Amino acid sequence: MQNIVFGILTGSTLAVATVGFALVRQTEGFVNIAHGQYLALGAFLGLFFMESWGVSVFLAGFLAVVAVAVLGVVVARLVFDPVRERGALVLFFSSIGLAYALYGINQVVFDPAVRAYPVNFGKNIDLGSASITVGELVVIGIAAASVILLHVFLTRTTLGTWVRAVAANPELAEVRGVRVRLTSGVVWFIGAGLAALAGVLIGVLGTVHSEIGWANILMILAAAVVGGLGNIYGVIAAGLLLGLAMDLSTLVIPTEYRLTVAFAAIIITLLLRPEGLFTVARRKEEVA
Amino acid sequence: MRIVVDDVSKAYGGLAALKNLSLTVEAGAITAIIGPNGAGKTTLFNAITGFDRIDEGAILLGERRIDRLSPWRIARLGIGRTFQTPAGFGTMSVWENLLTAGASDESERVLAAFGVRRPSKGFDDVAARAAELLERLELAHLASIPVEELSAGDAKLLEFARQLMRKPETLLLDEPAAGVAPDRIAELSTLLREFNEEGITIAVIDHNLSFVLDTASRVWVLASGEVLAEGKPHEVAKDKRVLETYLGQVA
Amino acid sequence: MPGWVLFVTGVLTLAGIYGALAMALNLEAGWAGLWDLGTAGLFAVGGYSFVILTAEIPEVSFAPELPMMAGVVAAGLITAVVAAMIGLPSLRLRGEYFMITTFAFAEVIRHLITNEGEITRGSSGISGLERPFDDLVSGRDYNFVLLGIVVVAVIAVYLVLRQTAKSPFGRALRALRDNEAAALALGKNVTRQRLKAFVLAGLIIGMIAPIYVWYIRSIFPHLYVSDITFVTWTALVVGGIGSLRGPLLGALILMSVTEATHFLQVDADKATLIASFHPIIIGVALIAILRFRPEGLLPARRDYPVARPTGLGGAEPPGPPRTLVPQGDAAGGGH
Repeated sequence: MQNIVFGILTGSTLAVATVGFALVRQTEGFVNIAHGQYLALGAFLGLFFMESWGVSVFLAGFLAVVAVAVLGVVVARLVFDPVRERGALVLFFSSIGLAYALYGINQVVFDPAVRAYPVNFGKNIDLGSASITVGELVVIGIAAASVILLHVFLTRTTLGTWVRAVAANPELAEVRGVRVRLTSGVVWFIGAGLAALAGVLIGVLGTVHSEIGWANILMILAAAVVGGLGNIYGVIAAGLLLGLAMDLSTLVIPTEYRLTVAFAAIIITLLLRPEGLFTVARRKEEVA
Repeated sequence: MRIVVDDVSKAYGGLAALKNLSLTVEAGAITAIIGPNGAGKTTLFNAITGFDRIDEGAILLGERRIDRLSPWRIARLGIGRTFQTPAGFGTMSVWENLLTAGASDESERVLAAFGVRRPSKGFDDVAARAAELLERLELAHLASIPVEELSAGDAKLLEFARQLMRKPETLLLDEPAAGVAPDRIAELSTLLREFNEEGITIAVIDHNLSFVLDTASRVWVLASGEVLAEGKPHEVAKDKRVLETYLGQVA
Repeated sequence: MPGWVLFVTGVLTLAGIYGALAMALNLEAGWAGLWDLGTAGLFAVGGYSFVILTAEIPEVSFAPELPMMAGVVAAGLITAVVAAMIGLPSLRLRGEYFMITTFAFAEVIRHLITNEGEITRGSSGISGLERPFDDLVSGRDYNFVLLGIVVVAVIAVYLVLRQTAKSPFGRALRALRDNEAAALALGKNVTRQRLKAFVLAGLIIGMIAPIYVWYIRSIFPHLYVSDITFVTWTALVVGGIGSLRGPLLGALILMSVTEATHFLQVDADKATLIASFHPIIIGVALIAILRFRPEGLLPARRDYPVARPTGLGGAEPPGPPRTLVPQGDAAGGGH
C-alpha cells in the first residue's frame, strides 16, 4: 500500500498549498491564480538559499517562506489594492497577469532546468507492505504543524478573529472596529507564506522545475473547489482526499491520468454540488 | 387567472421570511401588499415569480401549480414582475430595452441574424408597441439614452414599460412609486388603473400608503411573514392592528 | 526575401489567429457575459479533429484522410458539439465556478489527447502535416499564402460577429449579461441563449483551429496548454471587452510586442532567457490595462450606433454614445 503513503504525502502538501489559497479567497474575495507562482518562487528560493549560501534545508525553507510572505504583502498593495473597487473579476484577471509576470521572472532569475533539493531522506521505516522515510515523515509533520498553527492563530488570537470576521462580513467587520487593512496584510503574509512552504515541501519531495507553479495551481483549484473555495477546513480535507485519490487512482487507471483525476473531481463536484462538498449550502443569488 | 398562495413558508438560514402565508391575487383587480420592512413582501413576489424556491406550501396560477417552475417559464405564463431596484439592461438604450423585451424567440434565433428563416412580420408590431408605450409613459424623449443614465423614477417607468411589451396577464410591481417624483405619483396611480381597466391584473407592493389607498381595490397587510389583515383599502386603513404594527412603525 | 518581411508576415499571421480567437471569446465573454477559460481546450479539439480526419498518419488506428475543406467544416462542427457538451452542465454555474470548470474541462481535454495515443500519437504529436496549396507555392513563399488564408478567415469571423452583434440574438445576449434577473422576468430563456453563444463560439474556434495547425505545421498536446486561453484573454482585455474590432487590435499589439523579442539576435543560451520575457510582457500588459484603461484600447461604445426609435430605417434622434462595458468595471461585468 505504498500508494497510500504517496497519497498522504501529496495530500498534505496540497492541503498546505490550498489552505493559503482559500484564506486569501475568503478574506480578499477573489481567486488568486498567482498563488501557484508564489509556490514556485518558494521552491526556487529555498533551493537557491541551500545551494548558494550552504544553509540547511530547514533554514533555507524558512528564509524562502518569509521572503515570499513579504513579497505577497507588497504585491497585494501594488497590484491588487488599486483595482479592488472594480470587483472580483478584475482582481482575478490581474492575478493571471501577475502569475504570468512572476512565471517569467522566475525563469529569468533562476536556472529553469529540472533540479532536486540536495537532501538526504534518512532511514527507511518499514510499515509492512509499505515504507516511509524519516524525511517524508518530517514533511508530513511540518505540513500538519503549519495547518494546526493556522487553526490556533485563527481561533485563539485577536488578529485571527479579525481575519475570520473580515472573511464572514467585511462591512460589518469594519463597522465593529476591525483594522481591515492590517488584517488584509496579515492574510497576504500567511497566504503567500503557506504557498512558499508548500513549494519547498513539494520541491523537497520531488523536483523543482519552471512549470511547478502552473501544475500546482491546477491542483489547488481542484482541491479548493472540492472543499468549497473559501472554506478553510473544507479545503484541508479536500487537499488530503484529492492527494489520496490521485495516488490511489494509479492502481486502477493509467498513471498518466493522475492529474486528470483532479480535474474530474472539479467537474463532478461542481455539477453535483455547485458550492463544494464541504460547504453548508448557501445560496446568495442576488435577485433584485 | 387568479394567483393563489396557499400556506407557503420560506426561510433563509434560520430566519423565517414567510410563515404559512396564504393570500389571493384576484384576476382583474389591483391588489396591494403592504407591511413594514422585513414583512416578507418582496420574498412573496420572488416566490410567486420563481426567483425564490419556497420551502412548503403551493402557489397556483388558476388551477396550475407554478411553485417549481423557473422564473422565465412563469413569466411566459403571463406573470410579469418588476424589481425594487430596476437596473434594466444598463448598457442599452431605452428603445433597445423595449425591443429586447418584446422580441420573440423566433427573432432571437442565431440563424435569424443571418437572414435565414427571419420572421417576416413581428418586428414592426414590436416597434409600434414600443413607440406607443414610450408615448404613453412619457418616456419618448429618453428613447436613445442608455438605461444606466436614467433617473431612478424613469428607470421604474421603463421597467414597467418593458413588462408591458410582453402583454402580461398579471403584473407584480415592487414599489413602483419609489423614486418617482411626488407630483407624478398621482399620475402613476391613474396609469396603473388605466392598464388595469385594459385587462391587466396588478399586484403592487408599496410603502406610500396614500398611493396604495388611491390605487388598489384590495389590500393585504403582512407582518413578519404572516397576513395581519386584508380587506378593502378604507377598512384596512382603520384596522387597529394595522395602525399599531404597520403605521406606528412607519411613522 | 528580407528577414523583416518574413517577420512581419509571421506576426500578422499569428495576430490574425489570436485575433479571430479573441473575437470568438468576445462573443462569449463580451456579449454573453460568459467568462470562459476553456478556449485552449476547444482549440485543441478543433485542431486534432482536423488533423485526425484529414492527415495521413502512420501507426494510427483511425485516419479517414478527408479532403481539407471537409476537415475544416468537420472540425468546426465537432468543436461546437464538444462546446455544447461542456456548456450544458457548466452554464448554470456562476462567476469563478464557471471559469474554474471550463478551465478544468480544457485541461481534461489536453490530458485525454496526451494519453489516448491510439488516435493522437500522444505527447510526441504529429508533424510534417500537409497544408492547403502546399504543392502550388513552395518554401518561404508559403508564408504569404498562409497570411492570405488568415486574412480571409479573420474577415469572415468579423463579418459573422458584426452581423450577430446587431441582430436581436446579439441584443438578447447583451441584455442578459446586463441584467439576468430582468431578462428572466421577461420570459427570456437565459441558459438557452448562453448555450447558443457558447456553441457558436465553439464553432468559430473549431474552424480557426486548422489554420493554427498549418502555421505550426505539426500538432502536439503541449501546443494547447492554458497559455492559449490566457493570451487570447489578454488580447481581448487589451483591445476592449465587448468591442467588435478591439480583439483584433489587442491581438496585433500583443503579438507584435511578444514576437519582437525574436528580433534580438542572441546565442542559443540567451534565447531561453529572451523567451522568458513573453510571459512577463503578457502579464504586465494585463495588469496595466486592467488598472489604467479597463475599457481597453477600443472601448465597446464606439462600435454600436445609438438605436433608432423609429424602427426600420428612419430619422435618428441625437443621443449620447453608450457604453457596452460600464466604466471602471471592464472585466468585472459578470453577474
